[in-house]
Amino acid sequence: MTELEQKIRAEAARLLSEGLVDVVMAFRKEDAPLRPQPAFFTCVEDLENLIYNGLCANNLANYLTRYPDETRIGMLVRGCENRSVNALVVEKQHSRQNLYLIGVPCTGIIDWRKVVALTGEDILGYEETDSSLHVRTKRQSYQLPRRELLHASCQRCVHPNPLSADIVLGEALPEGDPALIRERVEAFEALTRAERTAYFKQEAERCIRCYACREACPMCYCEECFVDHNSPRWTESGTTPAGTHAWHIIRAFHQTGRCTSCGACERACPMDIQMTYLTDKLGKDMWDSYQFAAGMDAKSQPPFASFTLDDRKHFQAGGMHS
Amino acid sequence: MDNRPKIAFFQCQWCLYAPEDQEWVDKSLPENIHLIKVPCTGRIDPLFVLNAVQGGADGVVISGCLPEKCHFKEGNLAARRQLDAFSSFLDYIGYDEARVRFIWLDLQDRGRIQRELTEFESLLKKLNPAKSLATRVPETEGGAND
Repeated sequence: MTELEQKIRAEAARLLSEGLVDVVMAFRKEDAPLRPQPAFFTCVEDLENLIYNGLCANNLANYLTRYPDETRIGMLVRGCENRSVNALVVEKQHSRQNLYLIGVPCTGIIDWRKVVALTGEDILGYEETDSSLHVRTKRQSYQLPRRELLHASCQRCVHPNPLSADIVLGEALPEGDPALIRERVEAFEALTRAERTAYFKQEAERCIRCYACREACPMCYCEECFVDHNSPRWTESGTTPAGTHAWHIIRAFHQTGRCTSCGACERACPMDIQMTYLTDKLGKDMWDSYQFAAGMDAKSQPPFASFTLDDRKHFQAGGMHS
Repeated sequence: MDNRPKIAFFQCQWCLYAPEDQEWVDKSLPENIHLIKVPCTGRIDPLFVLNAVQGGADGVVISGCLPEKCHFKEGNLAARRQLDAFSSFLDYIGYDEARVRFIWLDLQDRGRIQRELTEFESLLKKLNPAKSLATRVPETEGGAND
Protein backbone atom coordinates (compact mmCIF):
# COMPACT_ATOMS: atom_id res chain seq x y z
CA MET A 1 0.00 0.00 0.00
CA THR A 2 1.45 3.33 -0.96
CA GLU A 3 1.58 6.35 1.29
CA LEU A 4 -0.95 8.11 -0.88
CA GLU A 5 -3.37 5.20 -0.68
CA GLN A 6 -3.02 5.27 3.08
CA LYS A 7 -3.90 8.96 3.19
CA ILE A 8 -6.92 8.44 0.92
CA ARG A 9 -8.18 5.55 3.05
CA ALA A 10 -7.72 7.56 6.25
CA GLU A 11 -9.62 10.50 4.81
CA ALA A 12 -12.38 8.25 3.48
CA ALA A 13 -12.62 6.50 6.85
CA ARG A 14 -12.91 9.84 8.60
CA LEU A 15 -15.71 10.99 6.28
CA LEU A 16 -17.69 7.77 6.70
CA SER A 17 -17.19 7.34 10.43
CA GLU A 18 -18.04 10.95 11.21
CA GLY A 19 -21.12 10.62 9.04
CA LEU A 20 -20.12 13.51 6.79
CA VAL A 21 -20.93 11.60 3.61
CA ASP A 22 -23.23 8.75 2.62
CA VAL A 23 -20.91 7.21 0.09
CA VAL A 24 -17.28 7.49 -0.97
CA MET A 25 -16.54 6.99 -4.66
CA ALA A 26 -13.06 5.69 -5.42
CA PHE A 27 -11.44 2.56 -6.85
CA ARG A 28 -11.02 -0.99 -5.67
CA LYS A 29 -8.68 -3.81 -6.58
CA GLU A 30 -9.33 -5.23 -10.00
CA ASP A 31 -10.75 -8.58 -11.01
CA ALA A 32 -9.02 -8.34 -14.38
CA PRO A 33 -5.34 -7.44 -14.45
CA LEU A 34 -4.44 -3.77 -14.90
CA ARG A 35 -8.02 -2.58 -14.62
CA PRO A 36 -8.96 -1.20 -11.18
CA GLN A 37 -12.69 -0.75 -10.87
CA PRO A 38 -14.78 2.15 -9.65
CA ALA A 39 -16.10 1.38 -6.19
CA PHE A 40 -18.69 2.88 -3.90
CA PHE A 41 -17.89 2.57 -0.22
CA THR A 42 -20.62 3.00 2.36
CA CYS A 43 -18.95 1.54 5.45
CA VAL A 44 -15.50 1.85 6.95
CA GLU A 45 -14.77 -1.90 6.93
CA ASP A 46 -14.88 -2.05 3.13
CA LEU A 47 -12.20 0.58 2.80
CA GLU A 48 -9.43 -2.01 2.98
CA ASN A 49 -10.29 -2.74 -0.66
CA LEU A 50 -9.74 0.86 -1.69
CA ILE A 51 -6.77 1.32 -3.99
CA TYR A 52 -5.39 4.14 -6.04
CA ASN A 53 -2.74 3.96 -8.74
CA GLY A 54 -2.00 5.11 -12.26
CA LEU A 55 -4.20 2.44 -13.81
CA CYS A 56 -7.46 3.80 -12.36
CA ALA A 57 -8.89 4.81 -15.72
CA ASN A 58 -12.52 5.78 -15.16
CA ASN A 59 -13.64 9.36 -14.72
CA LEU A 60 -15.51 9.06 -11.42
CA ALA A 61 -17.53 12.21 -12.06
CA ASN A 62 -19.49 9.99 -14.42
CA TYR A 63 -21.25 8.38 -11.43
CA LEU A 64 -22.22 11.66 -9.82
CA THR A 65 -25.42 12.02 -11.80
CA ARG A 66 -26.62 8.56 -10.76
CA TYR A 67 -27.23 9.74 -7.20
CA PRO A 68 -30.07 12.00 -6.12
CA ASP A 69 -29.11 15.54 -5.23
CA GLU A 70 -29.50 14.96 -1.45
CA THR A 71 -26.91 12.18 -1.34
CA ARG A 72 -23.76 13.44 0.28
CA ILE A 73 -20.91 12.11 -1.79
CA GLY A 74 -17.25 11.97 -0.94
CA MET A 75 -15.22 11.37 -4.04
CA LEU A 76 -11.68 10.96 -5.16
CA VAL A 77 -10.90 13.60 -7.80
CA ARG A 78 -7.94 14.12 -10.05
CA GLY A 79 -7.52 17.25 -12.16
CA CYS A 80 -9.88 16.23 -14.94
CA GLU A 81 -12.47 14.75 -12.58
CA ASN A 82 -12.50 17.95 -10.57
CA ARG A 83 -13.18 19.95 -13.73
CA SER A 84 -15.93 17.53 -14.74
CA VAL A 85 -17.49 17.93 -11.29
CA ASN A 86 -17.36 21.71 -11.68
CA ALA A 87 -19.06 21.51 -15.06
CA LEU A 88 -21.75 19.22 -13.63
CA VAL A 89 -22.34 21.56 -10.69
CA VAL A 90 -22.77 24.44 -13.18
CA GLU A 91 -25.37 22.31 -14.95
CA LYS A 92 -27.11 21.67 -11.61
CA GLN A 93 -26.51 17.93 -11.63
CA HIS A 94 -25.48 17.91 -7.96
CA SER A 95 -25.22 20.52 -5.21
CA ARG A 96 -21.66 21.44 -4.45
CA GLN A 97 -22.50 21.55 -0.74
CA ASN A 98 -23.36 17.83 -0.85
CA LEU A 99 -19.99 16.96 -2.31
CA TYR A 100 -16.72 16.42 -0.51
CA LEU A 101 -13.87 16.27 -2.98
CA ILE A 102 -10.71 14.41 -1.99
CA GLY A 103 -8.21 15.83 -4.46
CA VAL A 104 -5.18 14.00 -5.77
CA PRO A 105 -2.71 15.64 -8.18
CA CYS A 106 -2.51 13.23 -11.09
CA THR A 107 0.62 12.06 -12.84
CA GLY A 108 -1.41 10.63 -15.72
CA ILE A 109 -3.36 7.47 -16.38
CA ILE A 110 -1.52 4.45 -17.75
CA ASP A 111 -3.05 2.91 -20.85
CA TRP A 112 -3.44 -0.79 -20.06
CA ARG A 113 -3.61 -1.55 -23.77
CA LYS A 114 -0.11 -0.20 -24.23
CA VAL A 115 1.09 -2.40 -21.38
CA VAL A 116 -0.57 -5.48 -22.85
CA ALA A 117 0.89 -4.70 -26.27
CA LEU A 118 4.38 -4.71 -24.76
CA THR A 119 4.09 -7.66 -22.39
CA GLY A 120 1.34 -9.96 -23.62
CA GLU A 121 -1.81 -10.79 -21.74
CA ASP A 122 -0.65 -13.25 -19.06
CA ILE A 123 0.01 -10.57 -16.47
CA LEU A 124 0.35 -11.77 -12.88
CA GLY A 125 1.00 -8.54 -11.09
CA TYR A 126 2.41 -5.06 -11.32
CA GLU A 127 4.03 -2.40 -9.23
CA GLU A 128 4.13 1.27 -9.93
CA THR A 129 6.79 3.83 -9.10
CA ASP A 130 7.06 7.51 -10.02
CA SER A 131 8.93 6.81 -13.23
CA SER A 132 8.17 3.24 -14.19
CA LEU A 133 5.81 0.30 -14.10
CA HIS A 134 7.10 -3.15 -13.19
CA VAL A 135 5.02 -5.87 -14.74
CA ARG A 136 5.36 -9.58 -13.97
CA THR A 137 4.09 -12.14 -16.46
CA LYS A 138 4.35 -15.92 -16.41
CA ARG A 139 7.56 -15.87 -18.39
CA GLN A 140 9.46 -12.77 -17.35
CA SER A 141 9.18 -9.37 -15.72
CA TYR A 142 9.33 -6.02 -17.43
CA GLN A 143 10.29 -2.54 -16.33
CA LEU A 144 8.44 -0.06 -18.51
CA PRO A 145 8.88 3.74 -18.54
CA ARG A 146 5.73 5.30 -17.12
CA ARG A 147 5.70 8.43 -19.27
CA GLU A 148 5.44 6.43 -22.51
CA LEU A 149 2.58 4.30 -21.20
CA LEU A 150 0.29 7.23 -20.51
CA HIS A 151 -2.92 7.77 -22.40
CA ALA A 152 -2.58 10.27 -25.23
CA SER A 153 -4.99 12.70 -23.56
CA CYS A 154 -3.02 12.44 -20.30
CA GLN A 155 0.19 13.24 -22.15
CA ARG A 156 -1.51 16.44 -23.31
CA CYS A 157 -3.03 17.21 -19.88
CA VAL A 158 -3.00 20.89 -18.93
CA HIS A 159 -4.36 20.89 -15.36
CA PRO A 160 -3.25 17.78 -13.45
CA ASN A 161 -4.06 19.36 -10.08
CA PRO A 162 -7.57 19.42 -8.63
CA LEU A 163 -8.83 23.01 -8.82
CA SER A 164 -11.52 23.12 -6.16
CA ALA A 165 -11.04 20.06 -3.94
CA ASP A 166 -11.93 20.25 -0.25
CA ILE A 167 -8.69 18.57 0.67
CA VAL A 168 -5.67 17.85 -1.50
CA LEU A 169 -3.49 14.84 -0.72
CA GLY A 170 -0.03 14.78 -2.22
CA GLU A 171 2.25 17.37 -3.75
CA ALA A 172 0.96 19.78 -6.38
CA LEU A 173 2.36 19.10 -9.85
CA PRO A 174 3.53 21.58 -12.50
CA GLU A 175 0.84 22.62 -14.99
CA GLY A 176 0.92 21.08 -18.46
CA ASP A 177 1.53 22.91 -21.72
CA PRO A 178 -1.75 24.09 -23.34
CA ALA A 179 0.05 24.29 -26.70
CA LEU A 180 0.04 20.49 -27.03
CA ILE A 181 -3.73 20.29 -27.55
CA ARG A 182 -3.76 23.40 -29.70
CA GLU A 183 -0.93 22.23 -31.94
CA ARG A 184 -2.64 18.92 -32.56
CA VAL A 185 -5.86 20.64 -33.62
CA GLU A 186 -3.96 23.13 -35.77
CA ALA A 187 -2.01 20.35 -37.45
CA PHE A 188 -5.30 18.69 -38.35
CA GLU A 189 -6.75 21.97 -39.61
CA ALA A 190 -3.71 22.39 -41.83
CA LEU A 191 -4.49 19.21 -43.77
CA THR A 192 -6.44 19.48 -47.01
CA ARG A 193 -10.20 19.14 -46.89
CA ALA A 194 -10.07 15.70 -48.53
CA GLU A 195 -7.46 14.46 -46.04
CA ARG A 196 -9.53 15.65 -43.10
CA THR A 197 -12.65 13.92 -44.39
CA ALA A 198 -10.69 10.74 -45.09
CA TYR A 199 -9.28 10.67 -41.57
CA PHE A 200 -12.67 11.37 -40.02
CA LYS A 201 -14.27 8.58 -42.04
CA GLN A 202 -11.51 6.13 -41.31
CA GLU A 203 -11.99 6.70 -37.58
CA ALA A 204 -15.77 7.03 -37.42
CA GLU A 205 -16.58 4.11 -39.67
CA ARG A 206 -14.87 1.62 -37.38
CA CYS A 207 -17.50 2.46 -34.78
CA ILE A 208 -19.70 -0.42 -33.64
CA ARG A 209 -22.19 1.90 -31.94
CA CYS A 210 -21.70 0.36 -28.50
CA TYR A 211 -21.90 3.84 -26.94
CA ALA A 212 -19.13 3.05 -24.45
CA CYS A 213 -17.83 6.59 -25.06
CA ARG A 214 -21.18 7.97 -24.00
CA GLU A 215 -21.41 5.77 -20.92
CA ALA A 216 -17.89 6.68 -19.83
CA CYS A 217 -18.40 10.42 -20.29
CA PRO A 218 -19.41 12.41 -17.21
CA MET A 219 -21.08 15.05 -19.39
CA CYS A 220 -23.29 12.54 -21.25
CA TYR A 221 -26.08 12.19 -18.73
CA CYS A 222 -29.23 12.77 -20.82
CA GLU A 223 -32.13 10.53 -19.89
CA GLU A 224 -32.63 9.85 -23.56
CA CYS A 225 -29.81 10.31 -26.01
CA PHE A 226 -30.59 11.68 -29.47
CA VAL A 227 -29.53 8.37 -31.03
CA ASP A 228 -31.96 6.40 -28.87
CA HIS A 229 -34.88 8.61 -29.74
CA ASN A 230 -36.99 6.77 -32.27
CA SER A 231 -40.06 8.82 -32.89
CA PRO A 232 -38.94 10.58 -34.98
CA ARG A 233 -35.61 8.89 -35.50
CA TRP A 234 -33.08 11.69 -35.94
CA THR A 235 -30.17 9.60 -37.15
CA GLU A 236 -29.58 6.23 -38.70
CA SER A 237 -29.16 3.79 -35.86
CA GLY A 238 -27.02 1.16 -37.57
CA THR A 239 -23.30 1.02 -38.24
CA THR A 240 -23.80 2.52 -41.68
CA PRO A 241 -21.50 5.40 -42.66
CA ALA A 242 -24.38 7.83 -42.19
CA GLY A 243 -25.10 6.49 -38.72
CA THR A 244 -21.53 6.41 -37.45
CA HIS A 245 -20.70 9.84 -38.91
CA ALA A 246 -23.75 11.39 -37.32
CA TRP A 247 -22.98 9.81 -33.97
CA HIS A 248 -19.41 11.07 -33.92
CA ILE A 249 -20.24 14.55 -35.16
CA ILE A 250 -23.18 15.20 -32.89
CA ARG A 251 -21.77 13.45 -29.83
CA ALA A 252 -18.72 15.67 -30.05
CA PHE A 253 -20.80 18.75 -30.75
CA HIS A 254 -22.98 18.18 -27.68
CA GLN A 255 -19.76 18.48 -25.68
CA THR A 256 -19.01 21.98 -26.96
CA GLY A 257 -17.93 24.15 -24.04
CA ARG A 258 -18.53 21.21 -21.68
CA CYS A 259 -15.79 18.75 -22.48
CA THR A 260 -12.89 18.86 -20.03
CA SER A 261 -10.58 16.77 -22.25
CA CYS A 262 -10.29 13.94 -19.75
CA GLY A 263 -10.15 11.39 -22.57
CA ALA A 264 -12.54 8.93 -20.88
CA CYS A 265 -14.30 8.43 -24.24
CA GLU A 266 -11.15 7.21 -25.95
CA ARG A 267 -10.16 5.06 -22.99
CA ALA A 268 -13.55 3.37 -23.10
CA CYS A 269 -13.61 2.76 -26.85
CA PRO A 270 -13.18 -0.93 -27.70
CA MET A 271 -12.30 -0.05 -31.29
CA ASP A 272 -9.54 2.38 -30.36
CA ILE A 273 -11.19 5.21 -32.28
CA GLN A 274 -9.71 8.69 -32.00
CA MET A 275 -12.32 11.16 -30.75
CA THR A 276 -10.51 13.84 -28.81
CA TYR A 277 -9.36 15.59 -32.01
CA LEU A 278 -13.05 16.49 -32.44
CA THR A 279 -13.82 17.65 -28.91
CA ASP A 280 -10.48 19.43 -28.60
CA LYS A 281 -11.27 21.42 -31.74
CA LEU A 282 -14.53 22.58 -30.18
CA GLY A 283 -12.75 23.38 -26.94
CA LYS A 284 -10.25 25.47 -28.87
CA ASP A 285 -13.04 27.30 -30.72
CA MET A 286 -14.80 28.09 -27.45
CA TRP A 287 -11.58 29.47 -26.04
CA ASP A 288 -10.86 31.56 -29.14
CA SER A 289 -14.40 32.95 -29.44
CA TYR A 290 -15.51 33.24 -25.82
CA GLN A 291 -12.35 32.76 -23.71
CA PHE A 292 -14.12 29.89 -22.03
CA ALA A 293 -12.65 26.64 -20.79
CA ALA A 294 -14.97 24.05 -19.29
CA GLY A 295 -14.88 23.22 -15.59
CA MET A 296 -12.41 25.83 -14.44
CA ASP A 297 -14.85 26.97 -11.77
CA ALA A 298 -18.28 25.96 -10.51
CA LYS A 299 -20.05 29.17 -11.59
CA SER A 300 -19.40 30.11 -15.23
CA GLN A 301 -22.07 29.06 -17.71
CA PRO A 302 -20.83 27.47 -20.92
CA PRO A 303 -20.99 29.70 -24.04
CA PHE A 304 -24.12 28.10 -25.50
CA ALA A 305 -26.01 28.89 -22.30
CA SER A 306 -24.71 32.40 -21.75
CA PHE A 307 -25.51 34.26 -24.98
CA THR A 308 -26.21 37.97 -24.68
CA LEU A 309 -27.27 40.86 -26.87
CA ASP A 310 -23.59 41.84 -27.00
CA ASP A 311 -23.28 39.07 -29.55
CA ARG A 312 -24.86 41.43 -32.06
CA LYS A 313 -21.52 42.46 -33.49
CA HIS A 314 -21.08 38.89 -34.74
CA PHE A 315 -24.24 38.95 -36.83
CA GLN A 316 -23.22 39.93 -40.34
CA ALA A 317 -25.49 42.73 -41.47
CA GLY A 318 -24.73 41.97 -45.12
CA GLY A 319 -26.86 43.05 -48.07
CA MET A 320 -28.05 46.61 -48.01
CA HIS A 321 -26.51 47.40 -44.65
CA SER A 322 -22.94 46.38 -45.26
CA MET B 1 -33.00 20.65 -62.03
CA ASP B 2 -30.56 17.78 -61.59
CA ASN B 3 -27.47 19.80 -62.31
CA ARG B 4 -28.52 22.69 -60.11
CA PRO B 5 -27.02 22.67 -56.61
CA LYS B 6 -29.36 21.38 -53.93
CA ILE B 7 -30.01 23.86 -51.15
CA ALA B 8 -31.63 23.26 -47.78
CA PHE B 9 -33.26 26.51 -46.72
CA PHE B 10 -34.10 26.87 -43.04
CA GLN B 11 -36.36 29.85 -42.60
CA CYS B 12 -37.54 31.45 -39.39
CA GLN B 13 -41.21 32.11 -39.96
CA TRP B 14 -40.96 35.66 -38.59
CA CYS B 15 -37.92 36.87 -40.49
CA LEU B 16 -39.52 37.89 -43.78
CA TYR B 17 -41.28 41.12 -43.01
CA ALA B 18 -42.63 41.83 -46.48
CA PRO B 19 -45.65 39.66 -47.35
CA GLU B 20 -44.46 39.50 -50.97
CA ASP B 21 -41.20 37.89 -49.88
CA GLN B 22 -42.92 35.30 -47.74
CA GLU B 23 -45.34 34.57 -50.53
CA TRP B 24 -42.50 34.12 -52.98
CA VAL B 25 -40.72 31.74 -50.58
CA ASP B 26 -43.88 29.77 -49.90
CA LYS B 27 -45.07 29.47 -53.47
CA SER B 28 -42.37 30.15 -56.03
CA LEU B 29 -39.14 28.68 -54.69
CA PRO B 30 -37.16 26.90 -57.41
CA GLU B 31 -37.30 23.11 -57.12
CA ASN B 32 -33.68 22.74 -56.09
CA ILE B 33 -34.31 24.72 -52.90
CA HIS B 34 -35.92 22.72 -50.14
CA LEU B 35 -37.74 24.92 -47.64
CA ILE B 36 -37.85 23.99 -43.96
CA LYS B 37 -39.87 26.54 -42.08
CA VAL B 38 -39.18 26.79 -38.37
CA PRO B 39 -40.81 28.85 -35.60
CA CYS B 40 -37.45 30.49 -34.80
CA THR B 41 -33.81 29.93 -35.71
CA GLY B 42 -33.46 28.71 -32.13
CA ARG B 43 -35.44 25.66 -33.20
CA ILE B 44 -32.72 24.59 -35.65
CA ASP B 45 -30.82 21.83 -33.95
CA PRO B 46 -27.35 21.33 -35.50
CA LEU B 47 -28.58 17.80 -36.12
CA PHE B 48 -31.07 19.19 -38.66
CA VAL B 49 -28.21 20.84 -40.51
CA LEU B 50 -26.22 17.63 -40.41
CA ASN B 51 -29.20 15.70 -41.75
CA ALA B 52 -29.41 18.12 -44.66
CA VAL B 53 -25.70 17.66 -45.34
CA GLN B 54 -25.92 13.88 -45.08
CA GLY B 55 -29.00 13.94 -47.27
CA GLY B 56 -26.94 15.48 -50.06
CA ALA B 57 -27.43 19.23 -49.70
CA ASP B 58 -24.75 21.18 -51.55
CA GLY B 59 -25.50 24.19 -49.42
CA VAL B 60 -27.45 25.19 -46.33
CA VAL B 61 -29.12 28.57 -45.88
CA ILE B 62 -30.31 29.74 -42.50
CA SER B 63 -32.36 32.90 -42.43
CA GLY B 64 -33.42 34.58 -39.23
CA CYS B 65 -33.99 37.87 -37.50
CA LEU B 66 -31.39 40.38 -36.32
CA PRO B 67 -30.44 40.34 -32.61
CA GLU B 68 -33.08 42.65 -31.14
CA LYS B 69 -35.78 41.57 -33.58
CA CYS B 70 -36.29 37.99 -32.38
CA HIS B 71 -39.97 37.15 -31.90
CA PHE B 72 -38.97 35.12 -28.85
CA LYS B 73 -36.46 37.72 -27.58
CA GLU B 74 -33.33 35.59 -27.68
CA GLY B 75 -33.85 32.45 -29.76
CA ASN B 76 -31.63 33.81 -32.52
CA LEU B 77 -28.81 34.61 -30.09
CA ALA B 78 -28.68 30.99 -28.94
CA ALA B 79 -28.94 29.78 -32.52
CA ARG B 80 -26.13 31.94 -33.82
CA ARG B 81 -23.63 30.74 -31.24
CA GLN B 82 -24.47 27.10 -31.86
CA LEU B 83 -24.78 27.16 -35.63
CA ASP B 84 -21.65 29.27 -36.14
CA ALA B 85 -19.65 26.79 -34.10
CA PHE B 86 -21.30 23.92 -35.93
CA SER B 87 -20.51 25.23 -39.40
CA SER B 88 -16.85 25.66 -38.50
CA PHE B 89 -16.91 22.18 -36.95
CA LEU B 90 -18.27 20.76 -40.20
CA ASP B 91 -15.48 22.58 -42.00
CA TYR B 92 -13.00 20.85 -39.70
CA ILE B 93 -14.13 17.46 -40.96
CA GLY B 94 -14.32 18.56 -44.55
CA TYR B 95 -17.64 20.23 -45.38
CA ASP B 96 -16.69 23.66 -46.73
CA GLU B 97 -17.78 26.45 -44.41
CA ALA B 98 -18.77 28.53 -47.45
CA ARG B 99 -21.60 26.09 -48.06
CA VAL B 100 -23.38 27.22 -44.90
CA ARG B 101 -24.79 30.71 -45.22
CA PHE B 102 -26.52 32.81 -42.60
CA ILE B 103 -28.90 35.55 -43.66
CA TRP B 104 -29.99 37.79 -40.81
CA LEU B 105 -32.83 39.92 -42.12
CA ASP B 106 -34.03 43.35 -41.13
CA LEU B 107 -37.28 45.23 -41.67
CA GLN B 108 -35.96 47.09 -44.72
CA ASP B 109 -34.67 43.99 -46.48
CA ARG B 110 -37.53 43.66 -48.94
CA GLY B 111 -36.53 41.38 -51.79
CA ARG B 112 -33.15 40.55 -50.29
CA ILE B 113 -33.93 36.87 -49.77
CA GLN B 114 -34.32 36.27 -53.52
CA ARG B 115 -31.05 38.02 -54.29
CA GLU B 116 -29.21 36.13 -51.57
CA LEU B 117 -30.50 32.75 -52.72
CA THR B 118 -29.57 33.45 -56.34
CA GLU B 119 -26.13 34.63 -55.35
CA PHE B 120 -25.60 31.64 -53.08
CA GLU B 121 -26.66 29.28 -55.86
CA SER B 122 -24.17 30.76 -58.28
CA LEU B 123 -21.45 30.38 -55.64
CA LEU B 124 -22.37 26.73 -55.14
CA LYS B 125 -22.21 26.15 -58.88
CA LYS B 126 -18.55 27.12 -58.79
CA LEU B 127 -17.85 24.59 -56.03
CA ASN B 128 -18.20 20.92 -56.87
CA PRO B 129 -21.20 19.03 -55.55
CA ALA B 130 -20.73 18.18 -51.86
CA LYS B 131 -20.46 14.42 -51.81
CA SER B 132 -18.07 13.66 -48.99
CA LEU B 133 -20.60 13.52 -46.17
CA ALA B 134 -23.71 12.74 -48.24
CA THR B 135 -24.13 9.26 -46.89
CA ARG B 136 -27.77 8.97 -46.02
CA VAL B 137 -29.79 6.38 -47.89
CA PRO B 138 -32.42 8.16 -49.99
CA GLU B 139 -35.68 8.22 -48.13
CA THR B 140 -38.67 6.40 -49.45
CA GLU B 141 -42.06 7.89 -48.93
CA GLY B 142 -43.72 6.92 -45.68
CA GLY B 143 -40.46 5.43 -44.39
CA ALA B 144 -39.19 5.46 -40.86
CA ASN B 145 -37.48 8.78 -41.39
CA ASP B 146 -40.65 10.67 -42.12
